[in-house]
Amino acid sequence: MTASTPDKGDFRRDEVIAGEYVLGVLSADDRRKVEARLASDRNFAAMVTRWQNNLSTFDEAYDPVAPPARIFAAIERRLFETAPSPAAPARPGLWQSLALWRGLALASLAAVAMMGASMAGLFAPPSGGRPLVAEMAGKGISVDLVARFDRGTGHLLVTPVAARQAEEKSLELWLINGDNPAISLGVLPQSGEGEIIIAPAMRGKFAPGSVLAVSVEPSGGSPTGSATGPIIALGKARDL
Amino acid sequence: MIDEEISGLLGRVSLRDQAAFAELYRQTSPKLFAICLRILRDRGEAEEALQEIYVRIWQHAERFSAGQSTPMAWLAAIARNRAIDLIRARKPVANAIDEAYDLADPAADPEKSAVVRAEGRRIDTCMGELEEDRANAVRRAYVEGLSYQELAEIYAVPLNTMRTWLRRSLLKLRECMER
Repeated sequence: MTASTPDKGDFRRDEVIAGEYVLGVLSADDRRKVEARLASDRNFAAMVTRWQNNLSTFDEAYDPVAPPARIFAAIERRLFETAPSPAAPARPGLWQSLALWRGLALASLAAVAMMGASMAGLFAPPSGGRPLVAEMAGKGISVDLVARFDRGTGHLLVTPVAARQAEEKSLELWLINGDNPAISLGVLPQSGEGEIIIAPAMRGKFAPGSVLAVSVEPSGGSPTGSATGPIIALGKARDL
Repeated sequence: MIDEEISGLLGRVSLRDQAAFAELYRQTSPKLFAICLRILRDRGEAEEALQEIYVRIWQHAERFSAGQSTPMAWLAAIARNRAIDLIRARKPVANAIDEAYDLADPAADPEKSAVVRAEGRRIDTCMGELEEDRANAVRRAYVEGLSYQELAEIYAVPLNTMRTWLRRSLLKLRECMER
């Protein structure tokens, strides 16, 4: 290798490995190693994304072929035909998946509808009426949160576990129905537990498909009446 | 196919909209099925892979970020990754990334590459700057999911020569696209 410094050599090597991964020439073991690194190294992940975008021009070589009709029926069976069982767990994997919360930090409120409730199922009926709990955290996100929702009482408890931001910030909770502007449900205290009891009049606005979002705002809440800071959590309300 | 429409469908799918999922499948499955068929070269495996791919799309639609890639490129990457995983499991190839990489290429300026910026050129232009057989090897590796070993056989060169071809070609492409 002619690279004069290890850093330079590593950089070139990383670019090549990222490219090899996207080309698909690596072994199964090597692909797993690359994917493990993708999860922890943002610069490397950016290299892979860039190769994916660059090389996607070659996708033109794939002339569309209609799959047999039975394939979609099989996919629907796999996804949607799960027998509802009273003993079914309330999807703890989804709730507790930190990955779901990553990447949301910089999303603007306008993007909420697009990014969707990544926590769809967030407020799906749990088994046995037990409250649902979600831990929310992510790289580069200034606070870690634990959210707890009690369907019976309509209490949504959001606890900032640690505020890592230097300036004073508030967490503001929003309700979004369809294309309508987000309605502020109130500001959560920066430390301690923030509980919002949804007013009976407001409860009517909670409909299947409503999206709940939490944004980071200047202390005291958004000065404009709409979210100005990063959305750090969102979820779709169902069957309230 | 309009990117905005596919993006919109992906957004609705991430909200667990089954009708949007059906429409997304209707519009995009012929392309993704073609990817599976081309890489796996087995209709039964391709059909099975296509199911797994759409299950994954349903589960991970919220990860699509319109700012990072086009929706079709994102979907195609999911399909290619799944198909390549299956073909590598079926026909194992040698591990390589822990070995030394021969990347000697005095023409490239890695310092420049360190800055991520908008691509000045399309890949097609830069592919035109590679020697023809090397450009073809790069394209066939991608489109057909060929391994280094398979490419070495097709182009009748030793395995290590093929590795060097593709690795240097990747560096040249990167350098060209940032020029």
